[in-house]
Amino acid sequence: MSERIVAIVRALVFIVIALALCGIIFSIAGYSATQMFEAIIEGAFLRNGALTQSLRWGLPLFITAVGVAISFRAGYFNIGAQGQFYMGAICAAFAAEWLNGLPPLIVIPICFLAGMTGGALWSLWPGILRLRSGADEVITTLMGNFLASLVLIYVTSGPLKDPSGSGQQASSRPLDAAYRISTSYGLSPTIITIALLVFVSMWLLVNRSAFGVLSGLAGRNPTMVTWQGARLMNIGLASFVVSGALAGLAGTIELMGPNGRLASGFLPTHGFTAILIALVANMSITGTAIVAFFFGGLSSAALYLPIIAGLPSSAIEIINAAIALFITAKSGFVDRVLRLGRRGTWTTR
Amino acid sequence: MKDDAHTVLECHDVGVTYGDVVALSDVSVSFIRGRIHAVVGQNGAGKTTFARVIAGLVKPASGRVEIEGRAVPTGNVNEARRAGVELVHQSFALPPSFTVAEAMQFGATDGGVYSRKQLETRWQKHLDALDIKVSAGQRIRDLPVETQQSVEIARALVTEARLLILDEPTAVLSPEGAQKLFERVRHLKDIGVTVILILHKIREVLSVADTVTVLRGGRLVEGPIESDGIDAAKLAELIIGPATRALDEDDRAALTGAAIPVHHTQATATDAQSPVLKMNAVSTRSDPEGPPLNAIDLTIHQGEIVGVAGVEGNGQRTLVRAISALADVSSGDIQIDGKDVTTAPMKMRRLSGLRVIPFERNVEGLSLSSALWQNWSIRSLLQKSLVSAIQPTQLRRDCATALDSWDVHYDNVAQHAGSLSGGNAQKVILSREMDEGARLILAAQPTRGLDIGATAFVWDSLRRAKSRGCGILFISSDLDEIMDVCDRIVVMLSGHVAGTFEPPYDLTEIGAAMTGVGQ
Repeated sequence: MSERIVAIVRALVFIVIALALCGIIFSIAGYSATQMFEAIIEGAFLRNGALTQSLRWGLPLFITAVGVAISFRAGYFNIGAQGQFYMGAICAAFAAEWLNGLPPLIVIPICFLAGMTGGALWSLWPGILRLRSGADEVITTLMGNFLASLVLIYVTSGPLKDPSGSGQQASSRPLDAAYRISTSYGLSPTIITIALLVFVSMWLLVNRSAFGVLSGLAGRNPTMVTWQGARLMNIGLASFVVSGALAGLAGTIELMGPNGRLASGFLPTHGFTAILIALVANMSITGTAIVAFFFGGLSSAALYLPIIAGLPSSAIEIINAAIALFITAKSGFVDRVLRLGRRGTWTTR
Repeated sequence: MKDDAHTVLECHDVGVTYGDVVALSDVSVSFIRGRIHAVVGQNGAGKTTFARVIAGLVKPASGRVEIEGRAVPTGNVNEARRAGVELVHQSFALPPSFTVAEAMQFGATDGGVYSRKQLETRWQKHLDALDIKVSAGQRIRDLPVETQQSVEIARALVTEARLLILDEPTAVLSPEGAQKLFERVRHLKDIGVTVILILHKIREVLSVADTVTVLRGGRLVEGPIESDGIDAAKLAELIIGPATRALDEDDRAALTGAAIPVHHTQATATDAQSPVLKMNAVSTRSDPEGPPLNAIDLTIHQGEIVGVAGVEGNGQRTLVRAISALADVSSGDIQIDGKDVTTAPMKMRRLSGLRVIPFERNVEGLSLSSALWQNWSIRSLLQKSLVSAIQPTQLRRDCATALDSWDVHYDNVAQHAGSLSGGNAQKVILSREMDEGARLILAAQPTRGLDIGATAFVWDSLRRAKSRGCGILFISSDLDEIMDVCDRIVVMLSGHVAGTFEPPYDLTEIGAAMTGVGQ
């Protein structure tokens, strides 16, 4: 219980420190920090439609981040969410292309299935390499991200190329409106329902299933779990597959919802923001939902930064990076500030 | 005794705390030059901390340390070494891939460029002077444990050490090896080195030390006392303290190493009773964690505790791993409770009643950063499918009931296992592994690092399981406890059984089998 409060306080402290640091940096660079914060708050929450936009960005991020959290909990640093997200979108786009003309009630579910399978498979091979031969999943999933980006470029400028495209950015033919699950505005009951389903099912998986407890133990001490007779292979592969399938699901949503087409290099930081969300939320499913909404807010606010504060909208990336910096450096400093560092909690291996 | 000219080490009100734990409090003691001083106490008494304070590895929160009348800044290894203090650790710190000469040079304070040959001639002289029979060109990893320890000692004496501290040096040695070590220590005394031996067996103390100092619960109980003026019974009293409880005479002796141990209970095993473990000529492929097993035959009957003695690293780990399906069996077969499990995964073996108390309780036994209830319920969860539903509330309640019945001291079942003391952590493992369904219990070093109360508790638990009809494999590097607790003893040497012994046990015979000289 108190542990949960500690985790929340810690996450808040990190975010506040990171924002303050960005405020200082932007002030030094000649911008107004107050205007920056104003833009963020306005753009994320206060403006007309700001909350809807925060949700529009937050929900797909949440879905990918839950997958990341499940993998991290099991002790696998699967940082390939971005590649799995792309692969999901690509597979869904192929399914939509091939089934074009069939009724939406058939096409849409198959697209989702294809997208989730694509993401899952793109996560499965690093999983197998890791569990069979010990290949570091950080390296393989990172390479998987680059490969997926290249496949995306190939697909959008080859097999699925939109012949009428302007040539500015390679992209696929737009999906038939009947197959879209939201308008370009990006939020629809379908998407909200999917996100809710993900939340409920994954919460149950983590908190009310044998997998949840065992993968948590395996993530903290795989040696102990092995001595108990567990097959790390099963727990590990399940974690990789679930995490990839969720990233693929998010990719499918972005394709069939707000984007409506595949574009080369679309949402290039989606998977990395999701990792950040999972880390800030300390791998809790509920926490991930809350944090994803916050980061969705930041994405939504990116539009207002140029208008209100005169900052480029990519300044949001700097804020994200600052949060990442503090989250990944969490051992030590803030713990000591919070006086939590009484005893080491992570096993030293 | 108070004469400063003869005092080599003086501690004043030394206090050390680790977090909330008081490891030492107000220890004031002084040692006379040129003698062998023993510091004794049970696990957790503060012996090692005391040694580390003197060697400058731990900075005490209070107090001061004087060496030969000069105050030495605390918490600084280099200052302590300069003052002539050297510590030989409990676990060896020599780099395995170094040659003996290189390891020696590593400990020396002078720099310079040497050829391999020069180094070897230089240090061979040093080794010969100390009468250590080893070639300076050999690699550390190729040396037997006893020799490694001698090299450690030689390295500690590279500089002009005036005070040598050996932390539990006999823990890794066979009884015979311990005798040789003591001869070496006496030799050191003759050449003018003061030696502090951290020990926990009374008879070792009485056989080698000139004085003895007793610590208990981080406090100085008494000392230094001349060892001529004290007998084993009195010393045992001082070590255990008033909380002696209803400790049986034999157990007491085994706990403190006061006398050569005898077997505690009547053997209940008869061949008529069915075996719970039967290993026929089991060999394993090479295992990452120890030498492979070589045609092991081992039978454990119902209601029998079989001890495995041996110098550490002679295949005890592989034995446990082979029975638990963690090591690859290459030939032979294993039966648990009459069922052949040679190729069965651990899950199936556990279903047949296999339970394991692993060697390293903090690594293999518990996940320290996970909640108690998760650590406790893993055994039952692993018998289910991964996607099966669980009720955490129920699991927490069951866990609390189990922990309460095992007398574990904890606040709530959601706290991390790492927040428990060693004895309590071991009780959590016992409560998990010694349930109703247990038939064959592998108890690997179940009392290592535990204080006397917790050790006696573990022994009691094993004896209770035995009387319920469990078969128990008891692995320990402490011969006293094996001889006290076990109905039969097998000695392991380089992956095979070097001898089987029945009570009444003969310490010399078992010791000989451990080193292979009896063959």
